[in-house]
Amino acid sequence: MNKEELKQLKVTALHCRQNVLRMIKANGSGHLGPAFSCLDIVTALYFHVMDVDPKNPDKEDRDRFLLSAGHKGMAQYAALAEKGYFEKEILDTFGQFKCRIPGHPDMHKLPGIEVNTGSLGHGLNLACGMALALRQDKKKSRVFALMGDGELAEGSNWEAAAIAAQYKLDNLCVIVDANGLQISGHTKDVMSYEPITDHFAGFGWAVTEIDGNNMEEVVATFDKLPLESGKPNLIVAHDIKAKGFSELEDQVGCHYWAPDQEAMARAEKELEDAIKEVLAQ
Amino acid sequence: MSYEMFDAKKLLGDTVYEVAKERNDIVLLSTDSAPRSGFTTFIEKMPEAYYELGIMEQAAIGVGAGMAVAGKVPVWCGPAPFCTARPFEFFKVDLGYMHQNMKVIGRNCGFNYADLGPTHYGLEDYGLVRMIPDVVILAPQDASELKGAIKAMLDYVGPVYLRLSTAKLPKIFEEKPFEIGKGNLIEDGEDVTILTTGEITVNTLAAVELLKAKGVSVRVVGLPTISPIDTDIIVESAKKTGRLVTVEEHFTVGGLGTIVEEITAENCPVKVKKIGVPFTYISAGPYDDMIQYCGLDPESICNSVMEFLK
Repeated sequence: MNKEELKQLKVTALHCRQNVLRMIKANGSGHLGPAFSCLDIVTALYFHVMDVDPKNPDKEDRDRFLLSAGHKGMAQYAALAEKGYFEKEILDTFGQFKCRIPGHPDMHKLPGIEVNTGSLGHGLNLACGMALALRQDKKKSRVFALMGDGELAEGSNWEAAAIAAQYKLDNLCVIVDANGLQISGHTKDVMSYEPITDHFAGFGWAVTEIDGNNMEEVVATFDKLPLESGKPNLIVAHDIKAKGFSELEDQVGCHYWAPDQEAMARAEKELEDAIKEVLAQ
Repeated sequence: MSYEMFDAKKLLGDTVYEVAKERNDIVLLSTDSAPRSGFTTFIEKMPEAYYELGIMEQAAIGVGAGMAVAGKVPVWCGPAPFCTARPFEFFKVDLGYMHQNMKVIGRNCGFNYADLGPTHYGLEDYGLVRMIPDVVILAPQDASELKGAIKAMLDYVGPVYLRLSTAKLPKIFEEKPFEIGKGNLIEDGEDVTILTTGEITVNTLAAVELLKAKGVSVRVVGLPTISPIDTDIIVESAKKTGRLVTVEEHFTVGGLGTIVEEITAENCPVKVKKIGVPFTYISAGPYDDMIQYCGLDPESICNSVMEFLK
């Protein structure tokens, strides 16, 4: 990847964060921390990695993206809007009755949403099913599932971990958005699944760890897929919750944010400055 | 009455296979359960469409829903409590809320696993699943209806739960296309209507013969679809005979009895006698003993109806 493309991806990730602020502004609150932490990964997927077409969102051979941690929905809406799946004005309806972008994604409401999520521990099994069906139909499509590290405590994930390995689903890539925080505190204190890579490797996955907020590293890792032929792929993306708004970064309280006007203005200013900084590089 | 008997599991597996071999979208999921559910032919002839998952019921629904999203029609059969109560929230979210085209078959429902005890009984299966909007629930009453229901289930686009036992199934009715959501008038009468569902209907019909011998004129309605229930035929029966009796091999709490009471309370309040399984944990034992304990044998059904009509 050349420098210019990398720069553009970084700017797009910041634009996506601006889209998140737009949704929070419309609703008065939202899951800022989880959305911001994973947005470098989500941006890389939609703007560099996945074969998708916003003009033809249901095209048969498309790659699939599932947000197992559905509360990061704003991150996906932000990327879909930025990619052109729908008009950005829809972002202003976030939280409204019968809006197309509810707090957790709904496949029947919006193009580009593959499944309904929100209840944790569902995405991996859905992703395995999609990967199995696509492989049976000899499709080249890959399935990407993003999950939270706190979500790993749901036992259903480990059922899926076994299935993916047993069926050698190398068309499946799971990214754990490992920001290390969940509602009650640090994930390692609440219920630790550290080291995450060891758990998945034990089931037979090909695993790697990256800095999930380092776009260069994120892209380079996705470009290497599959990590190993015949094995499902796990990327543990160590990132910072609320990355992009420094006063909330890595704070337990950043999971759900209901800002006053001044706080929103500070967040908007920080993103504008960050965009200028990247463009000046 | 003596009926020709069929193996329900073989009928299930063979009927699914007959449909599946003509299509390219039906896949079979197993939670260590398919070979014992009558699917040996499917497994042998269509190995590319057969997925063994081991003993994991949450995953079965999640994986099935994922396959359905990608265009497949997954069929999964296992013991009723492990297909419904165990993965209930997956059923709700992945099949109901997502409206995915998966077919879940709960076998050994009711007391079929007689000696294995309450962990294995399916006494709340359709009571639970009917709390999930948009899921079709089928409880065929005999071999003909089972065959028709399986074909209708596979033609229908959307989530379906079908309950069956593994007992030898009598062929009571003539084979005809199964209409989802439709109850059928088995026999008309004036004094009372018996509404019956599932495979216990064979006992209901034997009880009806006993009642007729006592001079009671009985209207009999079969309800092989639990959801969407045939409201019209229930209301029509309430208006015609006044008193209603429900018969089911399921808890009366949350079962057909409850459904009928909900409908009549709103549309045509009448007295309803609910014959079914009492709301408790019933000890393991021989199947016939448990059926008798719950008052679901023909003589007990007959006696309950006579008492109700006093």
